[in-house]
Amino acid sequence: MMRRTILITAVMFPGLHAGAAEPGFAVDVRPILSDACYNCHGPDAAARKAKLRLDDRVSAMRSGILADGQLLERLTSDDPEVRMPPPDSNRVLKPGDRAKLVAWVKGGAQWPEDDRHWAFVPPAAPDHPPVRKGKWPVNGIDRFVLAKLEQEGLQPSVHADKATLLRRVTLDLTGLAPTTGELDAFLGDDSPGAYERAVDRLLASPRYGEHMALDWMEASRYADTDGYQNDRLRYMWVWRDWLVRALNDNMPFDRFVTEQMAGDLLPDRNFFTQVATGFNRNHRINSEGGSIPDEWIVEYVADRVETMGTMFLGLTLGCARCHDHKYDPVGQKDFYRMFAFFNNVDEAGLGPNNGNSPPFIKVPKSWPELSEEESKYVVPEPMKIRTVQTSVPRPQAGSPDTVMVMHEKERPRDTYLLVRGQYDQPDKSEKLKPAIPPVLGQWQQKWPRNRLGLAKWLMHPRHPLTSRVTINRIWQHYFGTGLVKTSENFGLQGQMPSHPGLLDWLALEFIRTGWDVKKMHRLIVTSATYRQASNGSAALQRRDPENRLLARGPRKRLSPYAIRDTALFTSGLLVEKIGGPSVKPYMPPGIWSSISNARYKQDKGEKLYRRSMYTYWRRTLPPPTMMTFNAAAREICIVRNDKTITPLQALTMMNNITFVEAARFLAERVLKVDGLSKAERIERAFRMVISRRPDRVEMKQLLEDLEFYRQDFSKRPGQAAQLLAVGEKKADANLLPVELASFTMVANTILNLDEAMTQD
Amino acid sequence: MLIEGSERGSRRDFFRSMSGGMMGGALLSLLEGEVGAKPGKAPHYRPRAKSVIQLFMNGGPSQMDLFDPKPELDRMHGKSHFEKIAGEVESPQAAGALMRSPYRFSRHGQCGMSVSEVMPHLAECVDDIAFIRSMYTTNITHEPALFIAHSGRMQPGLPSIGSWVSYGLGSENRNLPAYVVLDDPGKLPVNGTQNWQAGFLPPEHQGTRFRATGAPVLNLKPAFPQPGAIGQLEREFIAKLNSGHHQQRPRQPRLSARMASYELAARMQLEASDALDLDQEKQETLELYGINREKSESYGRRCLIARRLVERGVRFVQIFIDFQIWDNHSNLKKGLRSCCEKTDQPVAGLLKDLKRRGLLEDTLVVWGGEFGRLPIAQLGDSKKVDHAGRDHNKNAMTTWMAGGGVKGGVVHGATDEIGLAAVKDRVSIPDWHATILHLLGLDHEHLVFNRNGLDERLTSVFHARVVDEILA
Repeated sequence: MMRRTILITAVMFPGLHAGAAEPGFAVDVRPILSDACYNCHGPDAAARKAKLRLDDRVSAMRSGILADGQLLERLTSDDPEVRMPPPDSNRVLKPGDRAKLVAWVKGGAQWPEDDRHWAFVPPAAPDHPPVRKGKWPVNGIDRFVLAKLEQEGLQPSVHADKATLLRRVTLDLTGLAPTTGELDAFLGDDSPGAYERAVDRLLASPRYGEHMALDWMEASRYADTDGYQNDRLRYMWVWRDWLVRALNDNMPFDRFVTEQMAGDLLPDRNFFTQVATGFNRNHRINSEGGSIPDEWIVEYVADRVETMGTMFLGLTLGCARCHDHKYDPVGQKDFYRMFAFFNNVDEAGLGPNNGNSPPFIKVPKSWPELSEEESKYVVPEPMKIRTVQTSVPRPQAGSPDTVMVMHEKERPRDTYLLVRGQYDQPDKSEKLKPAIPPVLGQWQQKWPRNRLGLAKWLMHPRHPLTSRVTINRIWQHYFGTGLVKTSENFGLQGQMPSHPGLLDWLALEFIRTGWDVKKMHRLIVTSATYRQASNGSAALQRRDPENRLLARGPRKRLSPYAIRDTALFTSGLLVEKIGGPSVKPYMPPGIWSSISNARYKQDKGEKLYRRSMYTYWRRTLPPPTMMTFNAAAREICIVRNDKTITPLQALTMMNNITFVEAARFLAERVLKVDGLSKAERIERAFRMVISRRPDRVEMKQLLEDLEFYRQDFSKRPGQAAQLLAVGEKKADANLLPVELASFTMVANTILNLDEAMTQD
Repeated sequence: MLIEGSERGSRRDFFRSMSGGMMGGALLSLLEGEVGAKPGKAPHYRPRAKSVIQLFMNGGPSQMDLFDPKPELDRMHGKSHFEKIAGEVESPQAAGALMRSPYRFSRHGQCGMSVSEVMPHLAECVDDIAFIRSMYTTNITHEPALFIAHSGRMQPGLPSIGSWVSYGLGSENRNLPAYVVLDDPGKLPVNGTQNWQAGFLPPEHQGTRFRATGAPVLNLKPAFPQPGAIGQLEREFIAKLNSGHHQQRPRQPRLSARMASYELAARMQLEASDALDLDQEKQETLELYGINREKSESYGRRCLIARRLVERGVRFVQIFIDFQIWDNHSNLKKGLRSCCEKTDQPVAGLLKDLKRRGLLEDTLVVWGGEFGRLPIAQLGDSKKVDHAGRDHNKNAMTTWMAGGGVKGGVVHGATDEIGLAAVKDRVSIPDWHATILHLLGLDHEHLVFNRNGLDERLTSVFHARVVDEILA
């Protein structure tokens, strides 16, 4: 009987756990319990009903309801008074899930002694699963992917054609499209290793660091202003410079994190490691006169804890700020013990009137090429709170040649649990020491109880989360979706990984290579999985619309930054200069009208054409074009963005000054080459933007388009002149206005094609 | 080959047939799923209102000088009260004695509601309005109080009520966004565009700013003056090229969505421009909204546009006021009057116009700010009471609702004898949110979005109660 049940359940729920013969408690059962029951029968003691806990093995067993038929009755009864979850609650148990629980209970409610959530158990080296199509895999990634496909009865897709692949990998690694020269060289190189060489060239390009910095900047809530009411100006671009350089230098990830978390506490600390700690100062700062400083210090410290939770732990620690976490074994006290790590900064609750808020350090003029003397660690000047006229106490403001850093107070602030998260309701019965949640491993005695120790814990090879969460975000960068889809939540309410073995193998590879970031990028982009064509059959699209099984290559829309950058790049307008203060390109008129103390003074000349990562980011009014294409708002840590498609995007691409000017320069570029036919000029422009040649039908239409535009502008030459006047950079006077205007419209048409905004 | 010739005709036909195809069948559902405003979704129960116009009064209007007269405060004028409320004052160093209202109140309408002399036009509408005198919030600083007012909690990054409504109900007009924001051409409110963010909801539910003058939406018009034909031609070309590409990748939903978005952009160009074209209105209507008068022209324009938007099926329209003019820390007597001169006639005009057109029945109009003000004076450097203002007060404010399922001529709740705190039938912000959702047919406990595995809602974990007493 028992045996039969197991057989049936195995047939009912295949595929969740590769090779699983029966519903695993941790994989199949607990996610349902968590979703449906833990709100009232979970870790949060205050919310618990009927004294019943279903998150804790011992309590659940002791309650007896697993064995005595009560749970079964609760699950199967039609009586609304009995049935669980209660019909009037918001908890809905899907019919399939209810059947799963029933099968589990009938099967004896197996609850293994080690019932830790998968993500809290350190990854163990998984065996490479056996595969039949043994020639397809290029590296370890492919074995896991292929095994799953074979299990699902699917085939991998063919390789993407070379041009598509080069476009994909160039955009993924540098945020720009390949040039026609790069395309030609790659297409003409049939020798073995041509692709790998192209990858190495891209990894070595300084554009790599700029492009990769963006994910980190969004997650680190980097901005050029403080946010809140007055949204005062701050100066943090030096931290951004540090970031780009660290990425381009391929700083090992453990060092990269340690410098940002504790660069001021390292034994070998220096000016650069100190700049790195700006990571924990990128949060918003309030400067409104009437604010209560103590309240806001709590906000800043909590922001640091929550950011660390999202970025490194993949946990929603913020939930435990006001009460015990409802799903994960993180108590409210755990939250404030983590809080204690960040609660010793010599900082002010109320920011200054414009400028950096202490602690900050002065940046030498020679930045980033510092002399040996200048590279030394600097003690920030102590905070001075002054009360001027208006009787609001404020700290001294750091001028534009400073950068905010972390610096410990001599005597740490006391940390207490704050009742309901309220700054003015500390529970003074117990002073809390810095500590990690016990569920996430052990603290080693040799680690100092400060941010440096915290970094050592995060980067310890046996840490269950840091490596998985990071590699998952890197995977998301390429495939649009992580192996764990909820890349910000690896907790009980997060989604299970699509390929658990692959995730763990990658996490361990990352550690094994000495946290070599570029190596991991290389591993992914050289895999057969990544190189597949993205255009799966209709049947495959239907079966797996989100491409979770990876039977085809990734197809995704470009990031907001890459859309603008590629338009500037293909038109030849892009000014490639690494680092420096943020720039102010075109914006709608009056964009900063809400702020009394600063007007948006648009830059001139080359600053209009820098990469979008350098665009000035005002938190209360982020750049509209970036927001239209779903950039993160930089308020709080965001590691996953939606990519919607809206008519506002169409309007931006067709009408916005940046894209109209870029179209004009793309037109000039192809018009200035001597001796080409119209078709050849169009072909060049098309290929620069889309990385392939137009086919016969497309060419025929584009030529017709050109002719229509030409005729229209010939009749109304005034309009041609107006079109050519869009943008600061003057049109080449040697070109005929009607000719240039018509080609500009064709170029704009090309920039607006779906393929221009997509990597296939 | 002439542009007006047969070739052009065939292009047009092609475009038309293609767009016809795009709007039919499978692609229609795609459009609904992926692009722009979603069409009407079913509410939880029969709605009383189809749309909302929220008149957000940034800064915190003073309840005891507008809608909540306090004779006891007149009597106690000049008495010190600071010690009793020290913890509730934002700027203690400027706190003065209790201060009576500088304005006279009189009773209006059949209900006999008392309204201050600075709102003569609204006073004519009291029989259509339910006043809530017992509202309170939980923070006395603008930013957190605004986040609370718009998204229920003091943290940033959460969806605003308009986004929740867009998410819950979609739009009745696919050519326009479900949630439109009419911000002041003068200055944005505190918290800027975060006031209408979608937070963790899908970004299409974010409020779309319509500018009251010039092109209503950013980039709606090209950066250069162009004849309609060029833009139209370009869209045709893009559509044709994308469609060719699409034939090679038949089931690529995002590509189809991209194509549909260009179609929608074209229709939005027409419809948004049309909604904002006030030349179509009669002179009498313009005057009703005070658009002929300098002080009320700007706000009146936005109130009239709001009516034109709800007429076209926009679900949630929010009107913001220049920065935070209701933040009368000083010169209350003059300053508050000036706020009313800008808004009183437009707001009353909107109510009257909606009513005579039969639109008030299913349009809910909501008025209020992020908090109220204190009964004590806030003194400037001169320490003169004549120039005094009032500081923020989280414990009492008056808001009102009218139309869509709300009883007219009702006063709900009360503050204490000096207007310091709501004491009778207190209404919290979550209660207020739940009531607005309820009138739209949405149950605040069931309007949920699963985020990181958690069921989030506008009223969060708070206990919220629909204010039944003001429902018709």
